[in-house]
Amino acid sequence: MPHPSRRRAQLSQALTYAGLATAGLAAAFPFAWMVLSSFMTRGETLRRVFIPETVQWENYVVAWSEEDFGLYFENSLWIAFLVVGGTLLFSLMTAYPLARMDFRGREPVFIVILATLMVPETVTMVPNFLTVTWLHQVSPIPWLNNWPALTIPFMASAFSIFLLRQFMRGIPLELFEAARIDGAGHLRFLFQIVLPLCRAPLLTVGMFTFIGSWNALGWPLLVTSTPAWRPIAVALQKFVSEAGSEVHLQMSGAVIATIPVLILYGLVQKEFTEGISMSGLKG
Amino acid sequence: MMQKRTWSRLGLALTVLVTGLLPACGGGGGGKRADKAVDLEQLDPTGQNLVFWYQHTRQREEALKEMIARFNADNEYGITVGGEYAGNYGAIYNKMFVALQGGALPDLVVAYQNQALEYWGAGGLADMQAYMTSPRWGLTTAERSDFVAAFMRQDQLASGVQTGMPPNRSIEVLYYNQDWLQELGAAGPPQTWDVFAQLCRAARDQPFSGNENKTRSVGFILDADASRLASMVFSRGGQLMNAEGTRYLLDTPEVSASLALMKTLTKEGAVELMGEADGDQSAFAVGQCLFTLASTSGLSYVQDAVVSGSGFDWHVAPPPRTVADPVVNFYGASISMGRTTPERQLAAWLFLKWFTEPSQQALWVEASNYFPARKSTKDALAGYFAANPRYRQAYDLLEYGKAEPAVAGYEGVRRMIAQTVVRVIQGGEISANLERLQREANATMESD
Amino acid sequence: MAWALMSPALLILGLFGIFPIGYAFYVSLHRWRIKKESIVGFRHYTKAIGDPVWLLTLVIGFGLLLLARPLRSRGNDVVHRLGSLGLLLVGTVAGIVGFVGMSQTGDPRLYNAFKVTLFYAVGTIPFEVVGAMLLAYLLFRILTARGFFRILYFLPYITPMIATAVVFRTIFSPNPGSLANRFWGMFGVADQRWLHESRTIPALVLQGLGAGGYPDWIDTAFPSLALVCIVLYNIWVYIGYDTVILLAGLSAIPPHYFEAAAIDGASQWQQFRHVTLPLISPALFFISLVAVIGTFKAFNHIYIMRTPGAQDSVDVVSVLIFDQIYQYHSAGYASALALILFAAILMLTVVQNRILGRRVFYGD
Repeated sequence: MPHPSRRRAQLSQALTYAGLATAGLAAAFPFAWMVLSSFMTRGETLRRVFIPETVQWENYVVAWSEEDFGLYFENSLWIAFLVVGGTLLFSLMTAYPLARMDFRGREPVFIVILATLMVPETVTMVPNFLTVTWLHQVSPIPWLNNWPALTIPFMASAFSIFLLRQFMRGIPLELFEAARIDGAGHLRFLFQIVLPLCRAPLLTVGMFTFIGSWNALGWPLLVTSTPAWRPIAVALQKFVSEAGSEVHLQMSGAVIATIPVLILYGLVQKEFTEGISMSGLKG
Repeated sequence: MMQKRTWSRLGLALTVLVTGLLPACGGGGGGKRADKAVDLEQLDPTGQNLVFWYQHTRQREEALKEMIARFNADNEYGITVGGEYAGNYGAIYNKMFVALQGGALPDLVVAYQNQALEYWGAGGLADMQAYMTSPRWGLTTAERSDFVAAFMRQDQLASGVQTGMPPNRSIEVLYYNQDWLQELGAAGPPQTWDVFAQLCRAARDQPFSGNENKTRSVGFILDADASRLASMVFSRGGQLMNAEGTRYLLDTPEVSASLALMKTLTKEGAVELMGEADGDQSAFAVGQCLFTLASTSGLSYVQDAVVSGSGFDWHVAPPPRTVADPVVNFYGASISMGRTTPERQLAAWLFLKWFTEPSQQALWVEASNYFPARKSTKDALAGYFAANPRYRQAYDLLEYGKAEPAVAGYEGVRRMIAQTVVRVIQGGEISANLERLQREANATMESD
Repeated sequence: MAWALMSPALLILGLFGIFPIGYAFYVSLHRWRIKKESIVGFRHYTKAIGDPVWLLTLVIGFGLLLLARPLRSRGNDVVHRLGSLGLLLVGTVAGIVGFVGMSQTGDPRLYNAFKVTLFYAVGTIPFEVVGAMLLAYLLFRILTARGFFRILYFLPYITPMIATAVVFRTIFSPNPGSLANRFWGMFGVADQRWLHESRTIPALVLQGLGAGGYPDWIDTAFPSLALVCIVLYNIWVYIGYDTVILLAGLSAIPPHYFEAAAIDGASQWQQFRHVTLPLISPALFFISLVAVIGTFKAFNHIYIMRTPGAQDSVDVVSVLIFDQIYQYHSAGYASALALILFAAILMLTVVQNRILGRRVFYGD
């Protein structure tokens, strides 16, 4: 005979899972639709059936072999790699002073950094293109049709800086005092203590930066004219045309494009575990 | 207090930065512009490398690339055209937008009329008139009259400036389910709006035999879109804009009658307002809707859908009408020439001239499903006609084409029209709504 | 030292984040269709927000309101009390008069857009944040199939918009067979037009109950049904984003806090309220600030859901700006609108930073 409170706990567990599963269905439905549609014939997508009669694996072959899809995929990986690397480094270096150093103008600088998020892209596009064109002319490496225009403008993001600052401010002050007594300066403290403590937020920032870079379409089209550096989002758009969309191919392309993000998140979410970040430091 | 000082200093620094940088950017770029005084006849287009921005993808892009490669190999001037996919129309507009502020303009660019008008106004396009009429480089009189006049006129400004050249067009036609029409006892597609209305009611009452979901059966699904309304208005002898292109005509009896018919039929359950993207074509494909009004660029799309849907016999016809001759709404983007250097512009023109020759047109329309801009292309299309009977049916309607307004704010007015159509169909009073539409649409003509 | 560390990021943000603001300001002072034409000064601004006299009235009203408190604290006698009350009254009246005057003389589309934006933000943020908090807490606590559920709830954020938009448009389609219509049909609700409906829910309810007519304000004081559908779509998309950030926040909490609380005999709710919530407040602060900025300039997920049937009821400010550039070819006016939006978001953020920022618990 189980203890009544244990039974209650079991019941609440069961209810929790039931709730999670139901809401999970709603969360996964469009994803499932995307995967199912990616296996349909064009006719089936037009008729709006939900499950394909026979699985059309060749959609993936067609989507992948659609001119340069593989190249675009590789480009996207390179671009994302550079953007994520740059963002992590620069955001870390900016978030730390904002969180843990005393200097004049800290609050205004923070607000100014946030201000960069507040203007719609429709009006920042032109000036940013002009800046990149200017840099293209004056810098030793070309920017247009090359990786700098696609990566450098995104290597500093207010989101990442803000998020890291929030986490760094949560790091107990005593740790810093202790490090100071040991003779560590800000830099050593940042890289030896803060960095490992911020594993989870850093991975989070890295992942979101990756997703943002991975999905970007408008700007890459603006600063590239050849496939050499074009990202995968451009390839996906090619399945939409005036002659009518080819939803089945679009969806197989979308599935291919989603896989790296899924894998990445699968790895990152493992970090979201109680206490990992602080273990070994307390006591 | 300290904070305030920091703020004001920051503001000052920002102002200095911005004002310092602006002049540097505003004046930069542009490059050498074409000089009007240059003598076209003496120019040498040899060896130019050109950039061509287009929106085509998939089969169309492949065909275009092949043709460009052939031009590059065969043309006697050693001109090389580099075709570049530049994104969809919106993305191309973006690219032109930034190029006009100080980037490099393309030599050739696909543009809708209202976009071309903006590019021209900003000094970004070359006038093709001189090239077309040039004794050495231009078109002969016979060649010029071979172009469908209405297509060519669409790219002409009142001042005679030619902002672009039509490589192709699409027209808006009535798609109809022939098998269902026969079940309803009709001999052919409706010639008049009265017959159209009767058939819609009949379709509501007697679902198509091939329809698997008999609870839904309508005559027509109305896409609330300005082009659909334009088709209807044209077919009643009306216009959306006056001939001078200075004033919208959206509160006319023709607009009113078109909306009134749709409103009545919707109320009776014989017509449905479209609720999903491409909802008209997918309902047509499964035999739930007897007619749709749509662009010919969707012919292959509907073909695929019907084959996998109810598999009935279907055809296209001009929209029903009250005037004697059929009238069809036509549209399509043209190719414009960026304002670069005289030599490059000439080279770009030579490509365009080649691209619109009947033999190239034939290749292009076969790959793209578009309609050619030159009438004599017909002779080269016999085989294609035989394989695509519906394309053939629509082809004969080209000469009845009429265009929608080509003024700057038309994109915005299109949205106003669509909103008005919905308001009216959902019970709004027609004359009051059209009055408002007319007022708001004309207000866009004088905005800055 | 601080500046040296920040310099790479500040340089990039300055070039690609701050300079565009200045450039937009420069553009907004000109007649600028696709390219610069004549200078027009602040005409675009007065066209947008209305006669500057009313703006001045509004500002003075606010000033008076701000003065009321210091005056009251100066003394507690009748003069001070009455004076501060008077200031409050006059300030409020001036504020209202100023605002009404602005909206009468300004661009009605802008004021409509701000209203829609406000509906959108207010409808999205609380549900998104509370929902994400709940999800994160559950996903952090459960032990079985944790990775599976975490991925499940992140799917909305990473499924490409081309797929999610199609699905949501089908769910909220006016067709009798659509999911939304079939669901509500079970409760006896008549078929609705969902994303194509410009009327508001109260109006539709009144109509459904058989009311012949209803006062006009019901159609202006509430969001349209179409906007509600879009809000749902956006909550659905972004809840995963917020959840992940909160998960990261939860994982930064030292476990001994929970252990200590458990030993003290704290209930689940008490643990949540007194341990989890304060310790996660930095992440919550981030989410709410970013949510305000994000919803006020939201574009993609709204634009893709726009239908003619919704009329102007879902056109938020960023959609209006987009239309000005792409449909009316008026970059000058669009830039002015963008800067007005910028100013509004900036003010909100500064206020939020002041008010919420103080409540965040950083552990020191």
